[in-house]
Amino acid sequence: MSNFSEYIQGYVQGVKSLLIGMRTSMKVFCQKPVTEQYPENRHTTLHIPERHRARLVMVHDEENHHHCVACGICQMACPNDTIKVVSETYEDEDGKKKKRLVRYEYDLGACMFCQLCVNACPHDAIRFSNDFENAVFQREKLYMVLNNEGSSCAPKK
Amino acid sequence: MTVIEKIQKICPEAQVSTSGDTIVTVPSDRLAAVAEALRKDEQEPMDYLRDIVGMDWSEGLGALYYLESSKTYGRVVLKTIAHDRDEAWLPSVCHLWRTAEIKEREIYDFFGIRFIGNPDMRRIFLREDWKGYPLRKDYDMDSNPLNMENEENADDTVEYYLKPDGTVEGHRNILFDQKDFVVNIGPQHPSTHGVLRMRTSLDGETISRIDPILGYIHRGIEKMNESLTYPQTLALTDRLDYLSAHQNRHALCMCIEQAMGLEVSRRVQYIRTIMDELQRIDSHLLFYSCLVMDMGGLTPFFYGFREREMILDIFEETTGGRLIQNYNVIGGVQADIHPTFQQKVKEFIKHLRSVIQDYHNIFTGNVIATTRLKGVGILTREQAISLGATGGTGRAAGWANDVRKHHPYALYGEVDFKEVLYTEGDSFARYMVRMDEIMESCHIIEQLIDNIPEGETRLKTKPIIKLPEGNFSASVETSRGEFGVMLESHGDKTPYRLHYRSTGLPLVHAMDTACRGNKIADLIAIGGTMDFVIPDIDR
Amino acid sequence: MNNNSFLDYYNIQDLNMAIHEALLGVMPQWLAILLEGLAVGLLIIVLYAVLAIILIYMERKVCARFQCRIGPNRVGGKGGLLQVPADVLKILTKEIISLKGSDRFLYNLAPFLVILASIFTFSCLPWNKGAEILRMNIGIFFVLAASSIGVLGILLAGWSSNSKYTIIGAVRSGAMIISYELSIGLTVLTMVLLSGTMDIQDIVMSQDRMWNIFQGHLPAVAAFIVYLIAGNAEANRGPFDLAEAEQELTAGYHTEYSGMHFGFFYLAEYLNLFITSGIAVTLFLGGWMPLHFPGLDGFNAVMDYIPGVIWFVGKTFLVVFLLMWIRWTFPRLRIDQVLTLEWKYLMPLSLLILLIMTVCVVFGITL
Repeated sequence: MSNFSEYIQGYVQGVKSLLIGMRTSMKVFCQKPVTEQYPENRHTTLHIPERHRARLVMVHDEENHHHCVACGICQMACPNDTIKVVSETYEDEDGKKKKRLVRYEYDLGACMFCQLCVNACPHDAIRFSNDFENAVFQREKLYMVLNNEGSSCAPKK
Repeated sequence: MTVIEKIQKICPEAQVSTSGDTIVTVPSDRLAAVAEALRKDEQEPMDYLRDIVGMDWSEGLGALYYLESSKTYGRVVLKTIAHDRDEAWLPSVCHLWRTAEIKEREIYDFFGIRFIGNPDMRRIFLREDWKGYPLRKDYDMDSNPLNMENEENADDTVEYYLKPDGTVEGHRNILFDQKDFVVNIGPQHPSTHGVLRMRTSLDGETISRIDPILGYIHRGIEKMNESLTYPQTLALTDRLDYLSAHQNRHALCMCIEQAMGLEVSRRVQYIRTIMDELQRIDSHLLFYSCLVMDMGGLTPFFYGFREREMILDIFEETTGGRLIQNYNVIGGVQADIHPTFQQKVKEFIKHLRSVIQDYHNIFTGNVIATTRLKGVGILTREQAISLGATGGTGRAAGWANDVRKHHPYALYGEVDFKEVLYTEGDSFARYMVRMDEIMESCHIIEQLIDNIPEGETRLKTKPIIKLPEGNFSASVETSRGEFGVMLESHGDKTPYRLHYRSTGLPLVHAMDTACRGNKIADLIAIGGTMDFVIPDIDR
Repeated sequence: MNNNSFLDYYNIQDLNMAIHEALLGVMPQWLAILLEGLAVGLLIIVLYAVLAIILIYMERKVCARFQCRIGPNRVGGKGGLLQVPADVLKILTKEIISLKGSDRFLYNLAPFLVILASIFTFSCLPWNKGAEILRMNIGIFFVLAASSIGVLGILLAGWSSNSKYTIIGAVRSGAMIISYELSIGLTVLTMVLLSGTMDIQDIVMSQDRMWNIFQGHLPAVAAFIVYLIAGNAEANRGPFDLAEAEQELTAGYHTEYSGMHFGFFYLAEYLNLFITSGIAVTLFLGGWMPLHFPGLDGFNAVMDYIPGVIWFVGKTFLVVFLLMWIRWTFPRLRIDQVLTLEWKYLMPLSLLILLIMTVCVVFGITL
């Protein structure tokens, strides 16, 4: 007879566990959905943390000065060859040979956002920005030049 | 008698080197005897083979055997060299440790060392028609152009054995014969958790054999590491097991810091420990979601994701990344914790404790779930140890293997936590281990979160980091088992070889043992409870 | 049975007769019947498609709420009302692929068999007083017979696709549906016993005093639950969806189908859900019959003001929601568990219910 009572017990417990499950799912059914609506929430609930790494940018001030001295440490720190610093040498007023930045090339498509370049930069010339909407249709558009048109290195104070 | 004395008793010519880890070099013809003696030792049986690391030294190819005892947790490393590069033979140890079956295949694949006595000497990650052995130092990078042909998998394999006259001969072992009904599961399959492929032969609905085929996402990270500087190698660890990103990186940072003799501050230790545990909760929540979904319950899937999202938000606030966080660096962490971090973590734990009962109500207690998980896919303790199935899988079988407990690192020696152990070894035990560990992790975090001391978050290091010569290793308990970093430095700014102990590879290897005789629907549930992540296997 | 006068107000039988008479006045009988047949056929297909769209939309919204999501909300305004029609349009434009090594004829036939079975059973539903398409004195028996054609389609689909996944899915489905047909048959028999007829309209009419689930009290409630479980299995829906078990067999028996062929399977699945619920409503919850309680004449009269078709559709959607609730709560069963559940638990239970019901009817212990 114990077999039969086990059978009945299994029956009852099984049904009970199913009912508990259904109660739980109904509880959640009555709660508010947790999903957010992008892009509708762009200006409302969307929160991008300040430290989020979306793409590399070069910091420019109002006078279109950046801080890059074209030393190339970032290029060496990069594990993926994402960065290419194109520089030229020129002679300043004292006749000293100096390097200056021509183009700071950055391939967003190859970047793994490891932050080694930013860590390596001795002048805080580059940083990661928050604008994450970088999707494009052509791969070539992911190759970017980070220094602004006509910008120059900030003079030393 | 220490382990080294024991080895020297059996093999007097064994040399001991202590630059970094203690490594005992034994000649290849004495390896089998030493290994057997260590494995069958009474007081300290070295029954857990942590990993075999293939090596290409200038004097020949070889391997490092990382052994551990499940009884005393003592560790020892054996080193052996096969001097003939073209005809490199080593004796197989797969009769002592079953996990060697698959690890020796990996070494064969990458170094071309053939193991005498291993029943299955096929390539494992690379195509069967691959030319050369890529992790050898003299490998020609251009020797394998992109191949667009379909790969035909052989149904048989070769086993090498030693003939009495000392020569080696191979004979064929059949994997699948004509009568087998072989179903191909993966690499694009809804529930293999990535690009894993399992050739499964069925008898009706019952599984008779599983042959995992790996390498669909193999990126050659270990080869890449040989040309990257130490800080650069860190960038790739997050991409191994992406659900243990913090812990993987923690292991590599610890290994490098240990080699450099760098001592990180208490604050960093606190932060790293908290992050590791948050990561574990994150991974186990995802485990819950995926297991439930694998079993056809789509609603609880979202419960896990709902709470995981909160952890990811906390991560992102502090580290700037959700999945790939890049947080640990050599000498500390990338940035100090965000000012709201502590408060948010506390709120999250409170929330998690309040909703975890829903998880159990809808799934754990459910009669369908319990009957599908209980008594299914059993791995015994001996099998788990022999297969090297660490983490929750091993602990479900009663093997106390938590690295945090037995080889404490960071702050794990100081906090109070329980090592969750079950004895059944079935799918349900594996599931319950993870669910209980979520609560244990909450408990650990609660002990630390209010007491984070002030201190330096990142020590200054030289721009170019060079490690002293020697072998270094570190292991951590990631979300799904023991993750190890085995590093050999020759004093350069790049590692000579940097190997990662994959947590998932032994788990995939254990699938065949666990699944045989079960139904095809169980294959999915067992795979779900094993909780492997493919990029960690493929590296 | 003559006192429910207001129900007759909604009876469209007279309207049908009037149309028929009018047609006969202008054309020969064969043409009139042909035209009527065509009109009714068109009506069924349109109704079928519209209902499928409504059900798919409902399933998406309901499952989204169970999963803390919002569900479709972009296409067609705020509620995402046009999402499903857009999907239907998309699926119509998809190529129907032909497979290497498949049995071409059977492969193309299978989806039609599935949809045929579901349209047959669909035609038997009693929508309102006087509004039924197929009426015969063994109506409920016809429903059982016709719904079995569906499993043939599934088996053919699995076999003819020449794929291992599909054959496993199809064989699972075959084993399951054949087993669960037993429970369905027995529970239906229980209700036939209570109603004393197999004609679907007469079954509904027999509930005009009170719905069967109240008339038959305990055994009827138990039979209702057994019927829902077995019917859910018959419709191949979760937690019994192991024939298509996405996680194991990618999509089970319809893995190799594309375009509208796949669409037919998809439509049939949703309509089978509706049909299962509709039959459950007919047998247990009074079909189109409003909620009546003996003695409460005022209440009954008020209920009668609501047309029968609203009662029927309303009750059916309630049962549909119940089935969705079940589907979106439970994990899937394994094939051996499905068979255990049927042969060890449901079948004995339904036999017991049948026995109790017989005793109840014979000794008049019904309400």
